[in-house]
Amino acid sequence: MRKATLLMATALVAMAATLMAAETTRWVERTKVDVRAGRGSYYEVVDTLLKGEQVEIVQTEGGWVTVRTPREKVGWVFAAALSAKPVQPGGGSDFLKLAPGDASTSRTAASQGAKGLYAQDYAKAKGYDYTVVDWVEGHQPSSPQIEAFLEDTGETAGGRR
Amino acid sequence: MRRARWALGGIGIALLAVGCAGLDVGNVIEGGMKLIQSGDDIKGAFTDIDEPEEVELGRAVTAMIGSRYPLLRDEAVTRYVALVGNAVALQSERPDMRFYFAVLDSPDLNAVAVSGGYIFVTRGALALMRDEATLAGVLGHEVGHIALRHHAKAIKAEKRKAALKTGAEVGASFTRASVLTPAIGLTIDGLGEAALKGFSREEEGESDVVGFRYAVAAGYDPAGLRDFLKTLQDRGAKETAVSNFMSTHPGTEERLKAQEALVAKATTPGRRNQARFQQALAPIQKR
Repeated sequence: MRKATLLMATALVAMAATLMAAETTRWVERTKVDVRAGRGSYYEVVDTLLKGEQVEIVQTEGGWVTVRTPREKVGWVFAAALSAKPVQPGGGSDFLKLAPGDASTSRTAASQGAKGLYAQDYAKAKGYDYTVVDWVEGHQPSSPQIEAFLEDTGETAGGRR
Repeated sequence: MRRARWALGGIGIALLAVGCAGLDVGNVIEGGMKLIQSGDDIKGAFTDIDEPEEVELGRAVTAMIGSRYPLLRDEAVTRYVALVGNAVALQSERPDMRFYFAVLDSPDLNAVAVSGGYIFVTRGALALMRDEATLAGVLGHEVGHIALRHHAKAIKAEKRKAALKTGAEVGASFTRASVLTPAIGLTIDGLGEAALKGFSREEEGESDVVGFRYAVAAGYDPAGLRDFLKTLQDRGAKETAVSNFMSTHPGTEERLKAQEALVAKATTPGRRNQARFQQALAPIQKR
């Protein structure tokens, strides 16, 4: 009797642990997802996730979640980028696949794309001035400036996704 | 709700034609069929795009736009426009998308949404605005195009056209390097033209509706976009730039009516921030 009770208790604990893990584990559903230092696209990128990678949910706030990545980095991602069910890696952009490496499965190729290398090649071939892109990307407000501005415009009162 | 059928006015400048003239239709079809038979290599012309692709195409199109219209390299003005844009974009369906805002130093009336989150507004369009709520309404409309992925359809269409054209040029001897790289170039060329020309009437109407919602959620006066459209209508007969814009982008009246209906239903007054807008844009309003 005592043995049966012990077995049942062990089974219940194992089941609970499995359920808890299922509640906190998510899989990346998009080709590439940046993990950021705050709840907004303008915060610093602390890690980059690729499709199919598994993360642990640490905290949920609005439409955003804090995750722990496979590289033990912790940061925010938009919850819609994650799936509660396992996702197969790959299957990303055909466009970026045309360049050396495969951005859908290779972190190196994904970061090359993020740096605009393919667009730079195109601009060079067409005789366009790529410094326009660099200037635009390099002259956006910082995250503290945006946060201060949001407070001032009443955005906080309107809430955020 | 009535489906958007308003003509738009995504606010556009005149553009050049995409150079497809002179193609032999028979060769195009034959070349396209050969490409289609190549399986994986041509798959990209028909599948959905993802965000890294959107961004990379957006960068290339931004370089193209920058080659046609001078970029206003004023740090303070750019930062201000981007602050308003980010406040609005944060309320969109894609708050995790990185948005970039900048001003084109042109007297033309235009605001352009490029795939990947790159949004431009001309000095001429800013000159017609009187406060931050108006700017938020216009930028909200442009953010809407990106949030609703209106570029996806254009990208897929341009990929198909590019695949057919490059197939016709190289026949059966294609390889990834010799065929698909030119195809990417053609896709970007077509996208740049499409970005400047504006989207379909339905897509423009959809962006009006969601842009209104983003601006209101960000705390702005719901009448921002309506006021901009009203200004266009009132000044269209008097000013060349406005009348040129309205002649290539019909439907301002319908859009205005739709915005007035949305404003009438709005329950919050919101902010206009006129003084801050005028102070921030003083360096270019005087030109």
